[in-house]
Parts: sequence; structure tokens; C-alpha cells
Amino acid sequence: MKAGRFDLLLAKDVGEAVKALQTEDAKAASGFQSLGPMLNLRLAQPRLIVNLTRIPELSAVEETADMVVYGAAVTHAAIEDGRVPDAAGGALARVASGIAYRAVRNRGTIGGSLAHADPAADWPTALTALGAKVRVAGPRGVRRAPVAGFVRGAFAPALGEGEVIVAVEVPKASAAARFGYVKFCRKVGEFAEAMAAAFHDPDTGVTRLAVGATEAPPQLLEGDFADLDARLATLDLGADPVRQRLHRTAARRAMAEATTGIAA
Amino acid sequence: MTLVNLTVNGAPVSCEVEPRTHLADFLREQQLLTGTHIGCEHGICGACTVLIDGVPARSCITFPATLEGAEITTIEGIDADPVAVKLREAFSREHALQCGYCTPGMMMMARDIVMRLPGADAATIRKELAGNLCRCTGYVGIVKAIEATCAEAAANDPVTLAPLVSPARPLAVTLADEAGPASTARLEPITFEEAENGATRINQAFTVAFPRARVWAFFEDPRKVVAAMPGAHLTALSDDHFEGEMRIRLGPMGARFAGEGEIANDAATHTGTITGRGTDQGSATRASGRVVYTLSEPAPGTTRVSVAVEYMLVGALAQVSRGGIARDLAARLTRAFAENLDAALAGRTPAEGAGELSAGALLLSAVKDWLSRLFRRG
Amino acid sequence: MSGKGVGASIRRKEDDRLLRGRGRFIGDMRFTGQVEVAFVRSPVAHGRIRSVTAPEEFRDHVFAMEDMTGCDGILAKCGIPGFKISKQFPLAKDKVRFAGEPVAMVYAATRAEAEDIAATVSLDIEELPANYDMREAMKPGAPLVHDEWPDNAFLEGLVDKNFDAMEEAAIKVSRTVSTSRQCMAPIEGKGCIGVWDRQLEQLHLWTATQMPHIVRNGLADTLGMDQRQIRVVAPDVGGGFGWKGMLQPEEVCVSWLAMHLDRPVKYLEDRREHLVAASNCREHHYELTAYATEDGRLLGLDAVAHVDSGAYSVYPFSACLEAAQVGSILPGPYDFGAYRCKTYAVCTNKAPILPYRGVARTGVCFAMELMIDAVARAAGLDPMEVRRINLVKPEQMPFRNITGKDFDMGDYPESLRRAAEMIGHDRIRERQKSAEADGRKVGLGYSTYCEQGAHGTSVYHGWGIPMVPGFEQSQVRLTPDGTLEVRVGNQSHGQSLETTLAQVANEVLGVDPEKVNVIHGDTAMSPYSTGTWGSRSAVMVGGAVAASCEKLAERVKHIGAHLLQTSPDHVRIGEGEVRSETGAVTLKEIAATWYLAPQHLPGDVNPDGLELTAGYRPKVDTGTFSYATHAALVAVDTDTGFVEILDYVVVEDGGVLINPMVVDGQIYGGTAQGIGTALYEEMPFDKNGQPLASTLADYILPGAGEVPAVRVGHMETPSPNTRFGQKGIGEGGAIAPPAAIANAINDALKESGVEMTVSPITPHRLLSAIMAAETEAAR
Repeated sequence: MKAGRFDLLLAKDVGEAVKALQTEDAKAASGFQSLGPMLNLRLAQPRLIVNLTRIPELSAVEETADMVVYGAAVTHAAIEDGRVPDAAGGALARVASGIAYRAVRNRGTIGGSLAHADPAADWPTALTALGAKVRVAGPRGVRRAPVAGFVRGAFAPALGEGEVIVAVEVPKASAAARFGYVKFCRKVGEFAEAMAAAFHDPDTGVTRLAVGATEAPPQLLEGDFADLDARLATLDLGADPVRQRLHRTAARRAMAEATTGIAA
Repeated sequence: MTLVNLTVNGAPVSCEVEPRTHLADFLREQQLLTGTHIGCEHGICGACTVLIDGVPARSCITFPATLEGAEITTIEGIDADPVAVKLREAFSREHALQCGYCTPGMMMMARDIVMRLPGADAATIRKELAGNLCRCTGYVGIVKAIEATCAEAAANDPVTLAPLVSPARPLAVTLADEAGPASTARLEPITFEEAENGATRINQAFTVAFPRARVWAFFEDPRKVVAAMPGAHLTALSDDHFEGEMRIRLGPMGARFAGEGEIANDAATHTGTITGRGTDQGSATRASGRVVYTLSEPAPGTTRVSVAVEYMLVGALAQVSRGGIARDLAARLTRAFAENLDAALAGRTPAEGAGELSAGALLLSAVKDWLSRLFRRG
Repeated sequence: MSGKGVGASIRRKEDDRLLRGRGRFIGDMRFTGQVEVAFVRSPVAHGRIRSVTAPEEFRDHVFAMEDMTGCDGILAKCGIPGFKISKQFPLAKDKVRFAGEPVAMVYAATRAEAEDIAATVSLDIEELPANYDMREAMKPGAPLVHDEWPDNAFLEGLVDKNFDAMEEAAIKVSRTVSTSRQCMAPIEGKGCIGVWDRQLEQLHLWTATQMPHIVRNGLADTLGMDQRQIRVVAPDVGGGFGWKGMLQPEEVCVSWLAMHLDRPVKYLEDRREHLVAASNCREHHYELTAYATEDGRLLGLDAVAHVDSGAYSVYPFSACLEAAQVGSILPGPYDFGAYRCKTYAVCTNKAPILPYRGVARTGVCFAMELMIDAVARAAGLDPMEVRRINLVKPEQMPFRNITGKDFDMGDYPESLRRAAEMIGHDRIRERQKSAEADGRKVGLGYSTYCEQGAHGTSVYHGWGIPMVPGFEQSQVRLTPDGTLEVRVGNQSHGQSLETTLAQVANEVLGVDPEKVNVIHGDTAMSPYSTGTWGSRSAVMVGGAVAASCEKLAERVKHIGAHLLQTSPDHVRIGEGEVRSETGAVTLKEIAATWYLAPQHLPGDVNPDGLELTAGYRPKVDTGTFSYATHAALVAVDTDTGFVEILDYVVVEDGGVLINPMVVDGQIYGGTAQGIGTALYEEMPFDKNGQPLASTLADYILPGAGEVPAVRVGHMETPSPNTRFGQKGIGEGGAIAPPAAIANAINDALKESGVEMTVSPITPHRLLSAIMAAETEAAR
């Protein structure tokens, strides 16, 4: 199938993009790797597409003492290749390298993935575990919001009219911090059936476990994991006991990797 | 039409394209470069893989109108490329192609693997090749051919892309952090089941802090009920029959179901049924559904609303297997209805545009979203 | 010989153009003034059409069946008594019978614009209850797919061989086994371009097909035209696997529109259309009981089999082929004495069934091979051993089995023995005694099958379907410069026929394959043929090319001998020359003599010259029987239900291999498709008959990460009936994997009692079974 007709705006700056996105049936896009299929299937038929890739700030990366800020249009491949600093000691590169396929990673962007808010996508879950935040530009300015909770439901990002993700802040992990990441995909590169990301920093005592690819948005657990199973029992893992077991297995294995350093 | 200037296989190309024309069609139909094949047009099969600025990309989900200044390289453009020459030799030797339809995309990806990962072993190659489907060869010859070419290139330095140089600084935060208000309706867990006719049934109960008579009065006014349904509005109403429209959004997907239905209320039992059916012309999807609600008063001044929503979809939006997403959407819609009902009874009007994190705005978007989500995902 | 003939793994002649993106597939072709078509397809699985309406401004661009004057429905009868006839109109008329059925045709300058218009077409359809489950569809009171039928059975069959003699057996095991509905999913969809040639007064249909002559037959019938008025041409075709072995309703529509508009009309199936409207194969359901002695010797098999044949009977194979095959081939390569099989070809509200690579054999093999393992379990024996004692023995060859199939030649137990050896049977049994370091369970599974290929007249005439293969013909022509043109009426869509048929010509004439052009897939340019299907090309067309080259060789030798001043008895032909004891003359010189210097020809030269057509049929035309054993080693993660194939071995006997490299390629590719059937591919339907996978993200085709490096071992028992001893082998790879993999998974989990009998074995299905077994054990 071919996409329905749409108008295209190649936004030069965020102000132009935000203004255009406040008009009816306008949709932002950068790499088109999620939107493109939906356009071609005519499941998405926006009147206007606001292309963000020409906005210089969205391709920028900035490293500070305690975080790395990635412009929303930074590609998965740039992160995979280490062409940008990795805030989490290689964890970001590892997550990026498992997203879909290389040809998709070359164009797909970190901001686009979050804004698409597919519950089975990698970034919403991984960045939740890493304690990341998004910077969102809107009509009133640029706000900050934690990635945890940013995905409100399947394909439902917490973005208001005219809002667009402009950057992702990922706090720097200490040298001792460990990351566990497990996802079960029926085919390499395809949607995950279950997914969990765990982060453990012995220096700060911070431990987080994010469980994704459920029917609900990614879910975050923090704090004391002495009784992991009891913590997992508090999650909404859907109604299907088979899927529940799969999610729990992913969570246990991710946690084991983050706390023992041994990949499951 | 958008004027776009590109380089295609080394030659400058300047032409008008429709924004909706994808790169594969542009190359095949306008540039007559038919070596780039189309296998799925949704970014999975890899047959259409080309190089954009030197790296592989899916031409079926890339739009040339957004590619001003880009360099495009197709299978025709690597005809004399030394790596491609070696790969052709290896592909032929190892019988790495049969019908040849996936082959151009396979070659573009293989070349990238050889250059980026010289010396790669078979396991690495299989993972890197995951995005290129072949239905004929079982991949045995393809993997062998790439492995042999990688081995030949093992002494070469991998081709690496330069570190990203920031053209600017990321945009700084200008607003203080906000937290959204909590919702007041008390929701019970949602359950799903399959109805006898194959429809999905969602059961949800919620309790609001208003007397049953007042809540029932609300339910007896179709206009109010519809106003609480995210994305819905009435176009005609007579007695128990209504016509209306329901818009749903699921991320980038939207649907607009136009249809009709009936409302039947039984004041004696405080139960009611709304049945409706509609069609989204854009996606050729038909939806039908039934909402049964029962009001009880577990404690004075408190009403428990028990809602069973059955829905059935046929057509494009139904023909997707991630049913969980539709359920999530339906659940969110039901939740939004509960919260809207609560707000309406309390005399609160969800303030549209009063900050994106406000519950009201979220509800509005959720309402739109839920319908579209329900039907989304293809 | 030259080392390029039969038996040589020469490189393919097709490769260069395809590797450089220079092939010519249907989508690559364009004609001046061409328009493109999009179809409006039924969103519902079953319904009565009340109206099809288009906005006034587009009315001239939209066609429903009632607009297609002079066009009839597609009819594919079957001559077996009791077969019920269904006529499929290329655009649905009165009723729609499956989701995705074309209802209206729209044209515009581009596909995108045609889709824009298609989105404005309103279908008013009264929905009817749909038959989404074939066994439900057979129950009284089920909605009727065809209102004029008394029930939903295309055909019922019963094969009963000595079952009355079946006595009580020490072992009696029963299982329910089923395979899910699939899409064939070649990476190129189907597509066609219709052009009215004003000079020749002919409809030219360029189409991605496996059988151009059969398409012409069907088109002429449906459009009410003489066959002389139709030319059908297949360009490069990007895979078929059976999907392109039919007269497509879209081909009829495009042909009609091209004549109606008098301008070129193009249609390309897209992936969504393919998945939604063409999930049309593999759906079988079996109730089986096997009887055996306590030492595992099979005594009998009792089966009830349902095949979901979909809504219509497809031209030319009909809706009966698959179910009829089930009854006759279920016994597989085994020798036992009592057999009964009741079959139902059920009409449902799903896409019409087509024979997919392996046809009924994949389901049959899954059923039979799971029963062999079930018997082994009951007997407490290794499944390999139970197979070994029940397989037909080499000393029994040629063997007529219980359903009258004539197995030509082979050593089936040896294929099993070698497969066990290659995969390391004893080592694996040892390994299974201790736990795996990663906690997974490993299992070993086998599957042995035989593949009847190249079925001929005597098999097909009994079915009374629109196509019965007879003699296969080939035309050869030596050109004035001594190169060779070979014309055949079948069609290559990945099978390497341009190479392998050139090798056959080389074997006979010695012409370098590089100097042979194989011209195929064109009704105007080739002899008649039923096309490429049923693992028949190497046997039938290979035989025909050999026959025509042999006749040509006689004529060439006659002229050559004259030029060498000797008699034809004293020359031989090879390496592009005719040689006598004293000298040689090249084919080029001989050709030049015929065409350019006829004054030097012998006086008694055959006036028919250096081109001719010759035909071929094997001595016994009931088909060749290639066979193989597949062995799979898997690891099962019992916490996730995910299965990894650790090793996969195929030991096959395809008789004499024309090009072993090409045969290996067929085995690898077929096996990958079989792995898809085993673990990944499934089109789910809801109770309204809605197909639920409309993208390749939902319908999972195995990629390089899912298919292992399959290892192949060859045996070579020549068929006594074919020209070179070759056997049909194109489909075999796709037959055995579901059974081998299921048996391996069941072996891995045998302690827990988990036994999977439904394909594909998805992680969800498997984990669900594991959890059920755990619950049972905890009780």
C-alpha cells in the first residue's frame, strides 16, 4: 500500500515545529521508522507531517558532569557505534544494538522511539531503568519529565498539543554500576514478547527494575529487592498466566545480571 | 509537490516529488532504477535496502521529500564497487540466491557488514542479517558468502563512522517540573473475556461519590453520556436512536467511526444498554459494540457503576495480532469514561489546554487515543 | 565429458543479472500509457453484498463484477464423485466468502491514486456468521458458504485397506494433531500487466506465474476468448512455492480491464493484501489412532482428517487435491497392514486453499511422524528404533505400499541411520543424562518421509481436475553460429532451470552451458506445459530437453559425419564437436553449413533442419519417490517456551542430481520454510473469520537468526524410471521439519509429559503446555 496524501513541513527550528504541531491532524516525525509503515498501511493519515531532522538542536549531544543529553534526533546507530558518549558505560550502546535492524537503526531516533510509545519498544523500558528524563518543547517552553511514566499507554506518550520531545537526559552511571537487559523476541529484531531492564549501582545504592512489553506501559520498581518475587507480584503483567511467567522470567534474569554481572 | 535535490548513484538529481512518495517508488518509477525491490512496504523484509549517505536504510519507509542534499546509492550504483564485486563472486559460488528478488537488498546489507565488521563470524553475520528476509535459500549460502568475504577483508580496518559533531547545544529546560493531579474515581480491576459471538468483552466497575439517583439521571441523558465518551459526539438524536461519530487516536493512527445506535434504559433496575455500529471509511474498518451498565448503591451517597463493553472489529484495524494493544486502548477508554463521568457529576469541566499534564487534557487525549488505539496497530 | 553436464555443481547462469539488480520482474516493467489497479477487498469474511458505490467523480474508475461484461466465474471442478462445485467470480458477486476477497477494481495513473479512489468506495455488506473453524463448519446448522450446497464439504473421502482385519494390539495410541494456516509469502508478491496488442489482436498478459499455459487455458475459459487471442508471459518471478500456481482472480480482472480500456493495466499485490487475502495453506486437523505390537511394530493406522479448503475451488488444482492426497499418502514410508482414513475437504470462510511446497505431505508427515514417536513412548523404545523397524526395506524395492503407491527405489533405513550418525545420536543420548549448564532441556527428533514428485497422467487423470499433465515437450534450435536455444513451457522462479536445463543439453550435445539459452515462461515462445509444480521440472522437463537434444544430436551427427567424410555410425558428439577417429568438426561449422552453406549438406539430410520439438514421459509415470530423514537437536528454555535449534541434519536421496549445488539450495530453502511451519508461521483468525496478521511484524517469517546452518548428507539411488535417474526433490525440505522439531521438543520434555501436537510450536503454546504439565504434576 502507498501512503495517503500529506503535506510536509521541514521545520528549521523548534518554534516552527511547535506552532505547526498545534494545527489539526499534524504529526511530528524524524526518522519515519515507526511512522513510515503506518503511513504506508494508511493506518496513519495525518494532514501535515512536521519533519524535525533539520533542527540543529535535535541532533546535538552534550555531556555534563552528571549526565549526557542526547538530542531527540540522535539515531540508534550513532549510540550503538559509540559515536556519541554513552552515559551508562555501554548500556545504551547495548540497548541500541538490539533495536530492530541496522538499516532501521541508521535512521530511527531515540526521541522518535519514545514519542511513538510502543510498549514493546526498547527505549521506554531501558531508559526508565536508567532514570532518564525527556525534555519536551511546547507552546510555553521546554519542560522536563521522567521517562518513567512518560508512556501512558500503548502509543500514548504524555505529550500535549504542539509538544515535541527535543532531548533525552541520561544520568551518568558510576563505574561500579551494572545494567541487566533481557528481552524475548520470536525473531531477531522483532517486537519483544517480554522485556526487562535492571540497573544497580552499588556506590549509590540505587536499584531500579523496569518491565516492558506488557499490555500496560513500562512499569518501574525501585528500592529494596530482597524479595524480588514479592515485588514482581505487585506488577500488572496482564491476564494471561503464560505471559506473566515470561515477564517474570525476563525480570528475574535482568535483575540477576544487574546484581551479579552474569548475563542470564 | 516538493522540490528536492539529491545525488543518486553519484549523479545530481533535482526534481519534484509528492511528499507521500517513498524512496523506493521514487527510485523505481521516476529514476527507473528497478534494481531496488519492494517486498513489504512496512520496513520489515529488507528487499528495498539502499544506502543513504553511505549507510543502509529502508527505502520503502523513507520519503525523498525529507532527504534534501542526501546521497542515495542503489544496487546499480555499486556495480563496480570492489566489495560488491567480491560479494557477487561469493554469492554465485555459494548459491546465495535463487529467485533473486531479495538479492539487491541482501547485497546492500552484505556490503555494509563486510565493511563495518570485517572478520565477522557466522553468528554475528546472522544477527546483522536479521532484517533481510529470503524465502528461497534458507540463508545457508548467503551466510557462507558473506563470511568468506568478511574473512578476506579481515585484515582491513573496519569502516567506522565519525563521532557525531554537535551542530548546536540541546535545548535547555525553561519550565519548572509539574505533577499532574490524581484522579478521584475509584476504579476496580478490569477483566477481559471473549463473548459468545467472538466479541471482546471488557468488564470494569468504578465507584463515584454521588447518589445513585443523580448518576442515573446522568445516564438517562444521552448527550451527557456521549460527552463523557472520549472522542464521541452526537449528530442526531431522537428518542432512543442516535447518530454520531467517534474519533479515536492511537499514536499516529486515527480513525473516525461514523454510525448509529440505540439506547435502552430501564429505570426500575438502573440498567441500560447502548448498542452501536459504525464504519471508518479511511481504513475500511467496521466496528460494532454494546455497552451494558448497571448502577448499584453500596453505601448511601455512593454509586457503583458496573460497565461491560463488548466490541467487535472487522477490516484493516482488526487484522492485527497485537490484540493486547486494543485491550489496553479499550481499558483506557473505559477508565477515561469513568473519570469524565466523575468530573461531570462533580461539576468539573476537564480544562482543555490547561497544561498537558493535567488530568483533563490527558483524558481528552486518552479518549481520542483510546479509540484509535483500539483500532490501531497494523 | 565437459564437467558441466549432469552431476556438475556449475554456477548459475541466472546469477549475474540478479546480483546486479538487472533482473526483470513484473514490477520492473512499464508500458506507455499504463494505469495501475487497486482492489477494494471485503473487510468481512462472510456477507451478502447489498451495494458497491463510488462517488460520481470516480464512477468511471471503479468496476464491480456486474460491470465486467463477458467475464464468467472461475471454475475448477474435480471429477471425484461427490465433489461440490463452487464458482469464483473474479470480483465477488452477491456474496463475499472470505476477508480479503476482491469486490471492486479501481484504476488510476498510479497505485497511490488508485488507493485514494478505493478508499472512497462504499461497500454495503450484510454480515453473515462466518465459518472460521473447519470442524465447526461440518456441524449441522453451520452457516453455508455456498447457499445452494447441503453442507460445507467440498468432498469427503474414505480409504479403507484391510482395516476390518485389524485386531486388538498391545499398543494403541491416539492423538489429535493439527497444523495452522499459513501464507506462502514469496518476497515478491503476485502481479500482472495486461496489454492489448492491436497488431496481433491478442491480449498479452505479463504475469508472475508458475504456469503460463495453464493461466492461458483458464483465462480463455473465463473471458470467453480463443486461446490464439491470448499470450501469457512470465518474466523473472520472485519465488512462488505454489502461490503463483493458479489462475488468479486479479489476472482475470486486469486482462478484462486492459481490453476494456484498450490500454496497459498493471497490478501488483502488496504485502498486506498477501497476508490478509492469501493465507491459504497448510491447515489440517487429524484424529489418529496407531496400533502396534509391544516391540513397536506398526500394525495399523486409523485416521480422520480435515483439511480447511477455504471458500472456493482454485483453478487448476481444485479444492480436492490436498484432502485427496492426505488419504493416499498418510502411511508415509512405512510398511504396515491395516489402514483407514476418512477425509473431509471443508469449505470455510477463508482464502481458498492452494498447494504450498510439500502440499499435503507436510501435514501428513507431521501427523504420521508424531504417531511414530507416540508409539515409541508407549513401547518404551527409542523413536529412532521404532522408525527403523517400520520403514520399508531396500530389499522390498520396488515396493507397492498399502495405498498402492509404487516406491521406485531407495534405502530408507539407511537415510535414518546416516542422519542419526551425522547428528551424533549416541552422543546426544549420553548428553541428555546430565543437566545442561544453562538449565535448558535438549531433545533429539527425527522425521522420515518420502516425496512423490513429478506425478504424471496416470495419477492426475483420476482427479478429473482442469489440468492433467501428459508428455512434456521441449524445443531446441541450433543457431547459425552454433549456440543453442532451448524452449520449455514450464517456468523458473528461483529453481535455477536456466542452468540445470542447459546442463542437460550439455550432457547430450556437449554445448557449453554458457552457450545455451533456456527460454521459458511464454506461451508464444514455447511448447505447451502444465508448468512448474509438484517437483516435476528436473524429471519431466529435464527428460524433455534430453529427448529433444538427442534427436538434434542425430541430425547434427549426420551432417558432421558427412563433413568428416564418414558415416554417422562412426562419429560421436561431445564438447561442442562431432568427432570421428580422424578428425572433428564443431557444432558451429555444422550449423553454418545448414544455414549458410547448404550446398555442402549431405544429399539425404533431414529437411527439418536443426530445430525440433520432442516429448518425454518417464517409463513409469506415477512419480519418483525421493525421500529423506531429518534430524533436529533442540534446546528448550522451560521458563520461556523458547526453542533453539542447535543442529539440523538432512540425509536425502534425490537420485542422480543434475546440479548438486542447486539441489542443496532447494533443501536448505525448503527446510527454512519447514522451520517456519514448525515454530513461527501462523495466520490466526478470530471468530468472525478476520485474519489477524496483516504485516510481517505479525506474521513471522524466519530470518537468518532463526534458521540454523543445516547440514545435508546425500545418498544417490537412481530412479530406474527417469532419463538420468533423477528424482523430484524441490519440495522435500519443507515436509519434514515440523515433525522433526516437534519430536525433538517432545523428546526434550518427555520427563514432564509435555507433548506438542499443534504447529507452529510458538513460545506461548509451549510455555502454556509446560505450565499445564507442572500443574498436573503438582496435583
